[in-house]
Amino acid sequence: MYKSIDEINERIRDGSVRVVSAEEMPNIVDELGVTGALRDVDVVTTGTFGAMCSSGAFLNFGHSEIPIRMEKMWLNNVEAYAGIAAVDCFIGATQESTTRHSEYGGAHVIEDLIAGKSVELHARAKGTDCYPRTSITNEFTLQELNQAIMLNPRNSYQSYNAATNMSDQAIKTYMGFLLPSHRNITYSGAGCLSPLANDPTLSVIGSGTPIFIGGANGVVVGEGTQSSPGAGFGTLMTSGNMKEMSSDYIRAATMTGYGVTMYVGVGIPIPLLNEEIVRHTAVRDEDLKTNIVDYGTPFRDRPVIREVTYAQLKSGSVEIDGEEVRCSPLSSYKKAREVAAELKTRIETGSFTMALATRPIDSHKINKPMAEKGYVCHVNEMMVSTFVTITGEESVKEAAKRLLKGETNHLPVIDSENRLIGIVTTYDVSKAFAKDEQDMSVSEIMTKNVITIAPDAPVDFAARTLQQHNIGALVVIDSSRHILGMLNSYDLGDLVGGRGRR
Amino acid sequence: MKLMVEFDSDGVQYPNIAAAILRSGVMVNVERALIDGDEGWALLDVDDKDADMFITALSRKGVSIRIQKDAVSHNRTDCVDCGLCISICQKQVFSFDENWQLVVDSERCVLCGRCATYCPQRALSIQK
Ligand code: SF4
Ligand code: SF4
Repeated sequence: MYKSIDEINERIRDGSVRVVSAEEMPNIVDELGVTGALRDVDVVTTGTFGAMCSSGAFLNFGHSEIPIRMEKMWLNNVEAYAGIAAVDCFIGATQESTTRHSEYGGAHVIEDLIAGKSVELHARAKGTDCYPRTSITNEFTLQELNQAIMLNPRNSYQSYNAATNMSDQAIKTYMGFLLPSHRNITYSGAGCLSPLANDPTLSVIGSGTPIFIGGANGVVVGEGTQSSPGAGFGTLMTSGNMKEMSSDYIRAATMTGYGVTMYVGVGIPIPLLNEEIVRHTAVRDEDLKTNIVDYGTPFRDRPVIREVTYAQLKSGSVEIDGEEVRCSPLSSYKKAREVAAELKTRIETGSFTMALATRPIDSHKINKPMAEKGYVCHVNEMMVSTFVTITGEESVKEAAKRLLKGETNHLPVIDSENRLIGIVTTYDVSKAFAKDEQDMSVSEIMTKNVITIAPDAPVDFAARTLQQHNIGALVVIDSSRHILGMLNSYDLGDLVGGRGRR
Repeated sequence: MKLMVEFDSDGVQYPNIAAAILRSGVMVNVERALIDGDEGWALLDVDDKDADMFITALSRKGVSIRIQKDAVSHNRTDCVDCGLCISICQKQVFSFDENWQLVVDSERCVLCGRCATYCPQRALSIQK
């Protein structure tokens, strides 16, 4: 059995269309079977509402009395890209304000415009014969713009890795605040309600597919950037008219310690044209798998801690290493449902009709990492391999001697098998002398939690680590904690801002 | 219930909390505290039924006691019910109801302030 788009649109027009949300589909298919469901249901609505950093909008301001060809532009002190001739710009959601930093950014400008607020424009230009003006400062509202077209390069991830942090320090990420030693897990995506989870082979969703975006009736432009449907991580480029949007479905946000992002509500209706599509929309959270990965390591290929289903994630806790770990989303399931429900109402009342995609999206594509052709300097090229060490049993006095002889400020402490167990610095040693504790053993005054680095880490990462911990040197160790060398902040020169304290 | 106890320069000189525990025989849990030479505060958790007795025992010069209620204020309009605060808070103040709407159980809060810092919508604030 098949059904055509025209038949569905005819039912939308005569008011007899049957629309259900993707959440309801599994039970309907269980009850009626695939053929029965295809007969009874015409459209399945999906929805998602989450942080979609890769979002933004094209704005057109119209020409001023003395025209200007804007080259640099700020909206409420957030820089917008103006290199697209005269009076257009692209305001990106993650761009941060020059005055309020991560508390206000491109996403907030977009949210303010949608809420009807007035925004300040400031632009500069070099001035030409045809565009003589060199600067302009003005206020505008959304209604005054000729166009305000949201264009989001990468939205509606098919699924996304869940995050935890195996390191012993809390980290601030785009997945939220991750407590040390895997004490929480965060995840994103609406699971069985997610648009692409209901069409993983991209058999209906493609260029031209009508969608709900931010409250407007918008469209899928085509493949999203970084789309990797072949690996289960498809994305879509989406667009919609900002003038039809509502702050119910577009929310600016700040991930503290990471930056500005924008929560976007996207819903895609899936017309049930054949049995294969029906089967795909019957997906349950139990069928949707993703990985929990360790965000505590700074590298692209983050270690996978375990596989989970969205059903497990939504249950509120997941087991890691025999412990129940609390997990929570950072996308809103409640809002995702609202999106799917609103889309359903629009279809039922005839204000939203279906269309076939005009160009398909390659469903086998796999995203490639960056091929770094430039030269990357690694820690082992900058470290000093001659260094002095001390054992924990030796005295503070001995440590002082060794520091002097080695002409260094950092003295790694090793055990009998030459493994790193601590560090003492000139500061620790002088403090001990000042307190008359020079006869104590090194292990009594040493810092046990040594900040270390691997030899194959890039040096700019090492520089950031030095800065973050405000220290002067890192101990370079191999996987069995044997010392390979020392990396000093003064060897990194300009890479490290302020010189470390200790 | 939670008691917010503040000590002025007189109050920090004497082991008031220990003395009150001994005097009243009521067990309390010190959830958070910051006390230095001049002043300090402590957040105590005490069983509801013992609270009156303990408050009486702790009431002395230099000690001010306040019942800590509604520590977390949650702005419904700004909140998008993302749920990020749920796993950040280690005291299980936040949870979802059956409709995936955020529920706040302010009673359990120990005022660490983390949820307010990390709520992406800035919808939470902590009173102290
Ligand atoms: S983190 Fe903030 S926005 Fe998200 S549910 Fe909690 S209070 Fe609401
Ligand atoms: S302040 Fe701390 S304890 Fe209180 S609700 Fe927020 S995270 Fe939980």
